[in-house]
Amino acid sequence: MISSEIITKLETIVGERYVSDEPEIQYLYHYDFISAEPEGKCDIVIMPGTAEEVQNIVKIANNFKIPIVPWVSGINFGGIATPRKGGIVIDMRRLNKVLEVNEDDMYAVVEGGITWADLKGYLNKHHPDFQAGITWSPPGTGVIPSHLCYGMFNLGMLGGTGAEFINGLEVVLGSGELVKIGSCSLSSYWYGRQPLPDLSGLFIGFEGTTGIITKMAIKLWPKLPFRTDYLPIAQTVEEGAPMMLKLAKAGLGIIDLLFINLGWAQSLMCLDQANVANDPVELGLPDFLGLITTQAYTEKQHEAQCEAIIDICKEFNLDPLTLKEQMKSFPENMQGIMGHLTPSTGGQAPVQFWGCWNFSRGGGGEWVGSYNTTRNVVKYYQLSRDVSLKYGKPPQYYCRFMFGGHYCVTRTNINFNKNNPEEILNARKCLKEIHDAVQQLEGSIMYKPPLWAVNYYNDKMDRNMYQLIKRVKGLLDPNNIMNPGQGIEGEK
Amino acid sequence: MVQESRKYLKGKGITKLINVANQIMLKNYQNLDQYKDIFYQCGKCGNCRTAYQENGWPRVCPSGEYGKFEAYYLGGKNLLTWGLNSGKLEWTENLARIFYQCSVCHACLQQCNIPEIHNYAGEWLMAMREEAVKKGFGPMKEHTLYTDHILNEYNPYLEKHEKRLNWLTKDINLDPSGDIAYFVGCTSSYREQTVALATAEILSSMHLKFKILKEEHCCGSPVFMTGQAEKAKEIAENNVNTFSEEGIKKIITSCAGCYRMWKEVYPNKFKLNHGMEIVHLPELLITEIKNGKIDLNHSLDMKITYHDPCHLGRHMGMYEIPRELLKKIPGIELVEMERNRENAWCCGSGGGVRSAFKGLSESAANERIQEALETGADAIVSSCPFCLNQFKSNIKQEDLKAYDISELINKSF
Ligand SMILES: Cc1cc2nc3c(=O)[nH]c(=O)nc-3n(C[C@H](O)[C@H](O)[C@H](O)COP(=O)(O)OP(=O)(O)OC[C@H]3O[C@@H](n4cnc5c(N)ncnc54)[C@H](O)[C@@H]3O)c2cc1C
Repeated sequence: MISSEIITKLETIVGERYVSDEPEIQYLYHYDFISAEPEGKCDIVIMPGTAEEVQNIVKIANNFKIPIVPWVSGINFGGIATPRKGGIVIDMRRLNKVLEVNEDDMYAVVEGGITWADLKGYLNKHHPDFQAGITWSPPGTGVIPSHLCYGMFNLGMLGGTGAEFINGLEVVLGSGELVKIGSCSLSSYWYGRQPLPDLSGLFIGFEGTTGIITKMAIKLWPKLPFRTDYLPIAQTVEEGAPMMLKLAKAGLGIIDLLFINLGWAQSLMCLDQANVANDPVELGLPDFLGLITTQAYTEKQHEAQCEAIIDICKEFNLDPLTLKEQMKSFPENMQGIMGHLTPSTGGQAPVQFWGCWNFSRGGGGEWVGSYNTTRNVVKYYQLSRDVSLKYGKPPQYYCRFMFGGHYCVTRTNINFNKNNPEEILNARKCLKEIHDAVQQLEGSIMYKPPLWAVNYYNDKMDRNMYQLIKRVKGLLDPNNIMNPGQGIEGEK
Repeated sequence: MVQESRKYLKGKGITKLINVANQIMLKNYQNLDQYKDIFYQCGKCGNCRTAYQENGWPRVCPSGEYGKFEAYYLGGKNLLTWGLNSGKLEWTENLARIFYQCSVCHACLQQCNIPEIHNYAGEWLMAMREEAVKKGFGPMKEHTLYTDHILNEYNPYLEKHEKRLNWLTKDINLDPSGDIAYFVGCTSSYREQTVALATAEILSSMHLKFKILKEEHCCGSPVFMTGQAEKAKEIAENNVNTFSEEGIKKIITSCAGCYRMWKEVYPNKFKLNHGMEIVHLPELLITEIKNGKIDLNHSLDMKITYHDPCHLGRHMGMYEIPRELLKKIPGIELVEMERNRENAWCCGSGGGVRSAFKGLSESAANERIQEALETGADAIVSSCPFCLNQFKSNIKQEDLKAYDISELINKSF
């Protein structure tokens, strides 16, 4: 319970309209409504409209030791925006503007609650020759959380995780102080974090437990005029993966490189889980679907790159069609997301999906999504596949190669009917078992981890690293008000 | 950026999701219970907030953009419905208010690509209002006020029924023996009489044998849209009886709300199989022009933009006919606003919003007016007197005019 005195103070900051303690408004901030993680409790929702308002809210919270949780859309798959200790959810979505685009140094400065739809719309309209790296999360989700939480983008091969796309930050600390980080701390340019001490790491991967980002500069990339998306299909993941590993180190203008198994493809086709085989491999259907996206500045360069890509594929007895051509071979009503969105992207892979994990028509979904070494991509699939099948779930695997092939993301999704409590419990068990199974593979670390995974890593992590994180957190948020109950607790 | 090949759900202006197999198909218009196995599929992913087919990803939901909190967008409303259905929430005044603070314009469900939500969310938004009424939390007091008046004086404008035809001039040739009626509607009868007059003059000039019934009552749309289905049905039955007794075979409407009620809601929701042909004025005119029976001669020399009324567009699927008609007027240059057709931004007057939620209503209208101004058009033109009235009440700039399509046609006749 938060007293009416505090509510009045909050109303004075943002205006009555933007504070609510009504149960019907709070209800939608108790948890993310997709994942199998347990619910939390939101006592108050507030929507600030400026960085100064964020500062003032944090100061009050700090004064009265009330938990605060920064929130954009709250659907991060790990329940990491779920208020575990009650308190104030700061819905950042009124801070939704692009403040500046610098085409020379290719970055955009955006506000803390901007969504992908806002950003893409702005760039399409005003800077059509530039693109941001974009997740597959729905367009209503947050740009800042995606960058802060090591989001995985469609330009992953080019630039790495979302965190590597960050050029600079403006942050409100647990005390309410406002700090600038990166070149913007010394100039009006936000071109990078170099060469000053890089304090952005105090906030990256901390899931909003050390500060609230009110501004972020993110890297943009030129849209080159020539681009092709290939969709190679192989009988098994074991057959297709080595080809991707070779492509990952081949350069060739590849900006995105990933593969999925048929289980995941069925999801993208929007097939109802009730109507598909749990293990389509048993039916002799091909289980490996790749995506290779290459771009170039000149036609000649593009032709040469495409030729080299096809040559590598042929070494593995594959002759890939382009996504556009491949789509034609699917019946219309089985094209799902790809069929629906590909026309509006001009035949390119659609970058954002709707409807969350609704493919099973159950509305629930969660993943064991890990950063990983590229050595493990096949083993991860095999291990997670066995567990999924054991729990009666179609194995849904996904692997994306990152940053010129330096590392990769491996992910297993589980869908469930969120209207059925038993299925939720079953999904939780299944996810934990997948997680445990893939821990046999050293280097498999979950991103946007739910609390159970955080606790697992806490026990295993280098002790000094663990202690250092606790000290840093304690320093930045001495009263432990920032997203408490998530991540590693600060030193008192 | 509308694809010509776009396919729509039967009888609606919501696109058909042709790429998804195994869609659950439901019988239209049932009570809330029918939808209980669908609305929880929503994960409030936020797709319902923006138009994904448009380059600029513009916002589409007036209720959400005004209310800001999650609850005011479709995602929030889906999950509140689920919360209620699964016993986690209870009916409260506040919950009802959230559901009523929405013009039911359907722009949100157009964007949602979960097939069952895309296809049916519009229905449970209405079913929730009906439920609110049953539980005594709806409608809003402003709705009750006008509903009572409709039941007594047959219009929501607190006017006397006997004044309904005050706009009618002697020049209009009515034919008491005709089996065609012009259903004027309340807004044109009492507030936007130029629309009634223009429509009647056009019909007269066409030498159409038509009549206007003194005993025409409100179509019931403002009652139906605020969840008072039973009362709306009584109103509908009365209208159907009146028009049947007069031997009417065909009804011409100039109001998008009346058109939808007669053509869609009366037969499909209220099961009143009146058997009459229902035609919206632009439909009639475009056919007559194509048959060479009408010529639009006078040049108007205007740059205009067309606003799709929700009840005509997303609710009924009529997007191109009014545009085709406007393009037939000599001297007219038609330009589009960024949000048009199935992505059109609502004017903010429908669903009982204008009477009960003035802040939301005005902010929606002002946003549309601004969008129209940005096209450089001289006028915003609609095919609904309720939209027209909303624009006229909110336009503050001298440099934008608002017209109904009938007014322009009448000038060009
Ligand atoms: C269908 C679907 C597909 C997805 N695909 C991908 C994908 O391809 N790649 C990928 O990386 N992710 C993906 N995701 C997960 C993705 O990370 C999230 O959906 C999205 O990026 C998180 O945005 P959000 O607005 O939901 O964040 P939230 O859940 O609101 O926030 C996430 C975390 O960031 C914190 N936070 C939020 N705002 C701030 C701020 N201003 N300052 C400090 N901390 C803050 C929160 O407290 C929380 O800890 C997908 C999700 C879905 C539903």
